[in-house]
Amino acid sequence: MSRAARRPMLPVVGRSALLLFMSVIFIFYVGGPVYWLFKTSIEPESQVAAVPPNWIPQDPTLFNFESLIWAGREVNYENRRQGDPATGRFIPTGAKYLLPALWNSFLVGIAVAALNVLLSATAAYAIALIHFRGRRFTLYTILVTRVIPDIALIVPLFLLLRNFGLINTKTALITTYLAVTVPFTIFILINYFQSVPPELYKAARIDGCSHLGVLRHVYLPLAMPAVVASLMFAFLTSWNEFLFALMLTQNIQAQTLPIIISGFALDFTVSFSFLNAAGVIAIVPPVVLAILFERYIVSGLTAGAVKG
Amino acid sequence: MARIACRHLTKQYGNVTAVDRLDLEIRDTEFMVLLGPSGCGKTTTLNIIAGLEEITEGDIYFDDALMNYVPPHKREVAMVFQSYALYPQKTVFENIAFGLRLRKVPNADVRRLVQGAAEQLEITHLLERRPSELSGGQRQRVALGRAIVRKPSAFLMDEPLSNLDAALRVAMRTLIKRLHRTMRTTFVYVTHDQAEAMTMADRIVVMREGVIQHLGTPHEIYHRPRNQFVASFLGSPQINLVDGRLEANGGGASFVRGDLRVPLADGRLASQGGREVVLGVRPEDLRVGTGNLEAAAELVSPLGSEQHVNARIGDIELVLRVDKDMTVATGDRLSLGFDPRRLHVFDKQTGQSLRAQPEP
Repeated sequence: MSRAARRPMLPVVGRSALLLFMSVIFIFYVGGPVYWLFKTSIEPESQVAAVPPNWIPQDPTLFNFESLIWAGREVNYENRRQGDPATGRFIPTGAKYLLPALWNSFLVGIAVAALNVLLSATAAYAIALIHFRGRRFTLYTILVTRVIPDIALIVPLFLLLRNFGLINTKTALITTYLAVTVPFTIFILINYFQSVPPELYKAARIDGCSHLGVLRHVYLPLAMPAVVASLMFAFLTSWNEFLFALMLTQNIQAQTLPIIISGFALDFTVSFSFLNAAGVIAIVPPVVLAILFERYIVSGLTAGAVKG
Repeated sequence: MARIACRHLTKQYGNVTAVDRLDLEIRDTEFMVLLGPSGCGKTTTLNIIAGLEEITEGDIYFDDALMNYVPPHKREVAMVFQSYALYPQKTVFENIAFGLRLRKVPNADVRRLVQGAAEQLEITHLLERRPSELSGGQRQRVALGRAIVRKPSAFLMDEPLSNLDAALRVAMRTLIKRLHRTMRTTFVYVTHDQAEAMTMADRIVVMREGVIQHLGTPHEIYHRPRNQFVASFLGSPQINLVDGRLEANGGGASFVRGDLRVPLADGRLASQGGREVVLGVRPEDLRVGTGNLEAAAELVSPLGSEQHVNARIGDIELVLRVDKDMTVATGDRLSLGFDPRRLHVFDKQTGQSLRAQPEP
């Protein structure tokens, strides 16, 4: 009170104006690139680098998306340069791999999300609730693996997977991504499980649950927000991952979206509008997922209440 | 229905011994209360019976079957917790039905059994609610329902009433006692509340630091406490304890402290002359106006049904329980009398009673 009286407060109007100003800057900072991505994806290539830049697409077209979707059928060495890079009618070689790569990304992402929760939940339950010998050591070992930068592991990982004959398979990606996501998820779930009153564990055991039963009937439902967050985290990690995918996959058998899309820019020339159309396709699934699951995360958070 | 036997049961957490070589036999259909201050090992003992804690040493039997390595979900016991431990995401109905569902009981039977349990506990109108919408007393009824619906072989309760307010606690006490009578099952009940123990138990085990202090009926434990700890743990207001010495005289002995000399009509004490002892006398065993001990009333606390009076004889402070109709005021001179057979004598060193008979 005394401090507020001593120091003159910023006038209310001024404060609001400042907040508005900062918010606008922040929105531009965060949303600008995304807007540019969407805008250029529906523009012909010739408009992309127009000077002065246009904020609104002048000549909106779905051509970029169309050609992406039909690329697999139409593009070959003979016809791929029929379009002129300058006018946008240019389709890079890799375009025909976009849909297969999308499918690969989906398969890998969903497998990683599901297996991640399955492995992490059982491990976190054991570490949180069963007092086995070497429990702390196990936890620290799992966490320490996350201190090592990924790039340092690339070569050993590559050699290891090659010896297993897994290079260029989705299995290689799935196992590698799990190694990244599982430690984090275990850590998150342990904290969540430990916040559940231990009496619930006791009650469930006595009601007739085995350890897996307790996990399934009591802990997972109660940890729903954390489980959903883990699913999202694992899916997004694997969806966006570039480095491992680049090293461990060599053709469309297993290559994921980021690899194929980045390949668009490595062709003879770069088509920005085309690249951005692919970018839009790549960000749609995660956004849809986030919107779908947001409801679960919120409703899960309010479902608690054990003691009164 | 089960007889539960603990043989030489020991539980250690690191260097801490929670339960120390416990030998305990709980009879079939008995209401056994484990009583003691917090940290005395009573809850640990209960968890061991439930199978929730591993045993460091010793054995546990249900009837004649060794249970050491039987996991809790195969022991067919039920448990009620202080914090109720209801599943927050399930309705009351599903909370009660959960144990039956896990045992693959047909749906129609589940419905009938849950309904029956709910009627017994008067919670039928709550079945569709969730635990967060219930009061503490209602939650504890649901927890009881979850336990009784399975017809367990033993019923374990870990301070089930401690979170409830006083009036509700008394009502629930009656309810649990009635359940015990109708279910005819072994009950093991953990509490630190002596009133709960005294009113509900067939037998009480008083524990302290993982060791049984006294095992007996409420009457035995109250009237013939095995040691000073048991004597002072039970009874409200607490038993009066006075330090002094025994002096042999003729066929018995007297308790002596300064000018105070209390004859104890007990031949067993004749050989104990000179021993340092603590004399224990319960507040209700001191009768005003009947004897020759001169005391001064210092504080009168009327409770409605009775009055507690803090009195003083020389340097000794005593609490007396007197009738509600007696007129006592601060500063009054009181003459106190007592029945020598109701006095307790404890060894000052060991705290053991010199009068209580060992259990046959």
